[in-house]
Amino acid sequence: MKKYSVLMLMAFFSAIPSLSPAAAIKIGVINSITGPEAPIGENLTNGTKLAQEDLKKKNINVDLVWEDDTGKPQIAMSAMEKLATRDKVVGVVGPYTSACANAVAKLAEKYKVSLLVPAAAKEEITRQGYKWVYRMNAPADVYASVLIDAALSMGKPKTIAFIYENTDFGTSTTKTAREYVAKKGIKVVADESYSKGSPDYRSTLTKIKARNPDLVFMVSYVADAILLMRQAREIQLQPKAFLGGGAGFTTAEFAREKEISNGVFACTQWTDDVSWPDAKEFARRYKSRFGKEPTYHAACAYASMMVMAETAAKAGGDREKVRIELKKGKWNGIMGEVKFADYDGFTNQNRHQMLVEQIQNGKYETVFPLIFATKKHLYPFPKWQ
Amino acid sequence: MTVFLQSLISGILIGGVYALIGIGLTMIFGVMRVINFAHGDIMMVGMYLTYNLFTLCGIDPFASVVICIPVMFLFGGFLQKIFINRVLNALPQNQILLTIGLGLIMSNTIMLIYTSDYKILTTSYSSGSFRIAGISISEPLAISFLITVIITAALYWFLMKTDMGQAIRATAQDREAAQLMGINVKRMSVIAFGLGTALAGTAGALITPTYYIFPQIGSTFTLKAFVITVLGGMGSVIGATLGGVIIGIAESMGAVYISSGWKEVLVYVIFLLVLLFKPSGLMGKSRM
Repeated sequence: MKKYSVLMLMAFFSAIPSLSPAAAIKIGVINSITGPEAPIGENLTNGTKLAQEDLKKKNINVDLVWEDDTGKPQIAMSAMEKLATRDKVVGVVGPYTSACANAVAKLAEKYKVSLLVPAAAKEEITRQGYKWVYRMNAPADVYASVLIDAALSMGKPKTIAFIYENTDFGTSTTKTAREYVAKKGIKVVADESYSKGSPDYRSTLTKIKARNPDLVFMVSYVADAILLMRQAREIQLQPKAFLGGGAGFTTAEFAREKEISNGVFACTQWTDDVSWPDAKEFARRYKSRFGKEPTYHAACAYASMMVMAETAAKAGGDREKVRIELKKGKWNGIMGEVKFADYDGFTNQNRHQMLVEQIQNGKYETVFPLIFATKKHLYPFPKWQ
Repeated sequence: MTVFLQSLISGILIGGVYALIGIGLTMIFGVMRVINFAHGDIMMVGMYLTYNLFTLCGIDPFASVVICIPVMFLFGGFLQKIFINRVLNALPQNQILLTIGLGLIMSNTIMLIYTSDYKILTTSYSSGSFRIAGISISEPLAISFLITVIITAALYWFLMKTDMGQAIRATAQDREAAQLMGINVKRMSVIAFGLGTALAGTAGALITPTYYIFPQIGSTFTLKAFVITVLGGMGSVIGATLGGVIIGIAESMGAVYISSGWKEVLVYVIFLLVLLFKPSGLMGKSRM
């Protein structure tokens, strides 16, 4: 009897190696791991790490090659060249910022490697007819339209002021916002770009205050969002609503500054209480693993890595096949339904439904579209204390 | 009119902090003829010092100036004795390489310790303001401006009235002659570098309540300090003060009357014009 069970055990163990897949699939990741964009880049890194764990559970063995672009397009480009020619990866997920992603897209086309951009907003990235460039998140035009639609559903704003960072992300988001408000009959009364890192936005805000707009639309990365709202409070800029175009307005750091962030609307690709499959579970696991709330960047990176790795595994590491499978495929996960479609001049663009959230008592609450809403919105913006 | 006055006052207030950065750089240049490219990074160290004092010990950022000045002075003295002193007679490009290298070491060390996350201080008055005749004045900026004025005045008194101040000025005017007169120029160099470092660190401390900090922040301010000192005249304390305020006002006015994205252009146009018509800067040559 004993002999028999030992034999069974031996048979069992010898069977295990045959279960594991043959060779690991090489996938490149380009992300801002250091540099000024690193605080947001970290979310993408963490999301990718969770995806890696889940892929292992699904018996898909991936070998990730990490590259740091430090937020600079030229470094992102050399990273892409290395991944495509030296590491011979089958696909690349990244980079984070619009400027880097746009620069890398050209190279993806040149070297014929599928690039899946997880969270960069600039429209042009998927608007140049590239065959090898895919994007998970909704592009900049949706950022603006979903926020303005939300504002229009809450009241009757007539005028709007723009203040945005003069980077790819800021200018492209504002450009589409300008076109969209023109269609909706809202008048633009101020249009101010700024270069980030300036310690004083008071004069710009004063100028905007003098025009008395109903809506103030802002596009900034992390710390400038806090600085802008602080100085808006200082000079008592009091519109009916502050609309924050993603990035800096969707971070936990921003929400924590209750004094200045309460009542601000922000658009986002994802929230942790949305009813998409496994979204809540993802948020719970992320929090217990990294001790932080996941941002939409983390969810975008996670979903992108899952899609890329599953496709690459199916295609068996053949670059051309990966491209065809990405185009044909359809997924449903924490980002809702994912399908890369061609429409309105976009190619290989996932038509992602964006959400609008509002900070209430230091927490993000989804308020728009109404089917995903968890709390009632607060409008108009409460008077400054 | 309100908009004009508002931007003028914002410009002057922020210019005060710029002046403090510029004075530090100009002192170091005046005495040692070394262009300190680590100046912004030294300021960054001051910012992190203030941040730590606030988050770990609960010391108010403005009160921490009292700790910041001596600590940064010692840090500057240490840098001068160990590193800068060795290249005083070397080629200028070697001096520049050394200070750039020191700056890189500082910013990367801080990055290893604190990661590159943005840190922002939240005090009870961070977004506070008071109004005079319809113009809102930022509380933290007003306080930091006041401290800047006190420090600049004290520094000026020190340089003009005390023996040591006169010795520093003498060293700045003519190093060899000062040495012949029995001034310990090596010691003066250490003190000047310490003072410059302390001023940069203090500027960092004063700006933290209204700004955010991250390890790479230094380069922005190094460039700004450089423009301010050259504009005012290298080596001139009054020139640097003037230069700081001019740059502050130019940025603020540029943001309102041209566009925030173009304000830097205005700053550099003014800079070029001054160099064109008065190549030695507003306040001429080393006059401390």
